[in-house]
Amino acid sequence: MVVATAPSQANAASSQRAGPRTAAPQTGFAPWKNPDLSPMVRFEGITKRFDDFVAVNNVTIDIYEKEFFALLGPSGCGKSTLLRMLAGFERPTEGRIIVAGQDITDMPPYERPVNMMFQSYALFPHMTVERNIGFGLKQEGMSKDKIEERVDEAMGMLELRQFAKRKPNQLSGGQQQRVALARAIAKKPRLVLLDEPLGALDKKLRQQAQFELMRIQETTGTTFIIVTHDQEEAMTVASRIAVMEKGLLQQVATPGDIYENPKTRYIAGFIGDVNVFEGTVSKVSEGCIEIDAADGYKFKTKSSESVTVGQKVGLALRPEKIRIGREKPNSDVNVIPGKVEDIGYLGSISHYHVRTAAGERITALRANAAHTVEQSITWEDAVWLDWPVDAGVVLTG
Amino acid sequence: MKGRFSWFNATSITFGFAFLYIPILLLVIFSFNESKLVTVWAGWSTKWYGSLLQNQGLKDAAWVTIRVALMSATVATVLGTLAAITLVRMGRFHGRTLFSGMIFAPLVMPDVITGLSLLLVFVALGFDRGFWTITIAHITFTMCYAAVVVQARLQDFDKSVEEAAMDLGATPVSTFFQVTLPIIAPSVISAWLLAFTLSLDDLVIASFTTGPGATTLPMKIYSQVRLGVTPEINAISTILIGIVTVGVLSAAFFTKRQTDRAERERRKAFGATG
Repeated sequence: MVVATAPSQANAASSQRAGPRTAAPQTGFAPWKNPDLSPMVRFEGITKRFDDFVAVNNVTIDIYEKEFFALLGPSGCGKSTLLRMLAGFERPTEGRIIVAGQDITDMPPYERPVNMMFQSYALFPHMTVERNIGFGLKQEGMSKDKIEERVDEAMGMLELRQFAKRKPNQLSGGQQQRVALARAIAKKPRLVLLDEPLGALDKKLRQQAQFELMRIQETTGTTFIIVTHDQEEAMTVASRIAVMEKGLLQQVATPGDIYENPKTRYIAGFIGDVNVFEGTVSKVSEGCIEIDAADGYKFKTKSSESVTVGQKVGLALRPEKIRIGREKPNSDVNVIPGKVEDIGYLGSISHYHVRTAAGERITALRANAAHTVEQSITWEDAVWLDWPVDAGVVLTG
Repeated sequence: MKGRFSWFNATSITFGFAFLYIPILLLVIFSFNESKLVTVWAGWSTKWYGSLLQNQGLKDAAWVTIRVALMSATVATVLGTLAAITLVRMGRFHGRTLFSGMIFAPLVMPDVITGLSLLLVFVALGFDRGFWTITIAHITFTMCYAAVVVQARLQDFDKSVEEAAMDLGATPVSTFFQVTLPIIAPSVISAWLLAFTLSLDDLVIASFTTGPGATTLPMKIYSQVRLGVTPEINAISTILIGIVTVGVLSAAFFTKRQTDRAERERRKAFGATG
């Protein structure tokens, strides 16, 4: 288990960095890099307008079979609308939706090969857990024995057998959530949509439920698409994340890529903690960009970003990549002095908030490796911050 | 509602209830009067209930009334439910305000006007007035009550439950019968009971739209009273009061039990899980 108790957003994110997802199928799982594969779901230039309001603006995404794909963004960014268009509850104003090679844009929801888990769970209050889960199978006209068998299988997978005869209002929130999930997977659809599925659970239950979602997704081999506003959740469960803002698609990448190579300041700030230094490009040479920052400090970073000399850019640095020390490092780039303003001691790690001469407030993380309560660096200390050339990300947007 | 007891409140409540229920109470008591004279008490008796059974005219009228009420309540509930669903579900379609206004207008329309206008329609269309015209008239005026009752329930209905049913492969029609209707059933039953009792005691609209051979109980009672109140009328009225009371109470009971049970089960579930 990785750092799961620390409240910082960066922690869950950094746990992701420690390696690919622990589950076997995800190792080296990257169908989006394979040009021979055709996507399972394709959003093709999707735009949705409600009167004058543009909820989704010309979004194109390819999602591949067996992916756990996350649509991430703040509320009102259009992610739920996109999902509802895939389920068939909204019609796109422009664009096509293709699932498994079939254009389903004009297909009614009850004919689509997708099943959805709703944010409110939307359980049928007048039916028992059993009948809720079997509802979709009954619509297919499946025989009673077969329905019973499949319902039992789904209940077993989600540990619901003991509640089979209960009505939804006799269940706790966590149990209802599992019934909703069981109902969505009972028909064994090729595609399961999850609309903020864990939004109503408390933090501890939510973490359990996230791992449960991943387990179900892996054992059934189904493609999952999840909508969430919780970046930690997206980082934990997803194979790839699409970040949306104001109806626009900002970036689609793996959690690691989103964290390490955010395209814009918005994404850098939305996912985890980040420090951004402002500066001007002074030199561009084979794979490296040099930046002049305030007070004559020079930064150098590996980057393939296409920039021109004189362009104003930002340099994003994750707190855990910044070293903090009392002695001046033996280097003339990526070094900046400052004064410790604040220390956040979290047990396993400490956050150091350092004010630079130019007035910027920088956060650096340090693992508390030594078995001592004494801190070698304390308030008001003059310190030096430095980082390697491959630590920073140049932001142009 | 733990307001302090005050003499003013107590007095107004006493007068209010007295005003409402003393006439009814008197009627019920006098239906058990031994004497033939309505206003003179001569001891307890149930003989007027017995003589009701011999009165063919009253029995016929009762039978007509019940048939009209059963039929009009059923049709009005179906139409009212459909109207309520349209109003709540269709969102902001063009002319929605006009549509809802037109459905609810008959609630405040004087019975005399409703009755007269329906009579004009039936005459214009050349309908033979009688049992069927009363039934149609009762459907018209009770439908809006049914719509109001069902609409109130639909307003706090989670639409995603219907979406979930469709998502799982149920067509809109099958979604309605498998999901929507069972969930709103208590309010539909309440609507039916309300429509039934309204039809049962309508006098004005029935008088306008009736024809030969179709006399409802309220009409029969009214016409007999003009010749003088007999203890028999008191007896039949008491029975009517009984039926209406049972109808209204069971409608209320049905809704209450539904919400109580849901609340109890919710508490039990959360108590069990800590």
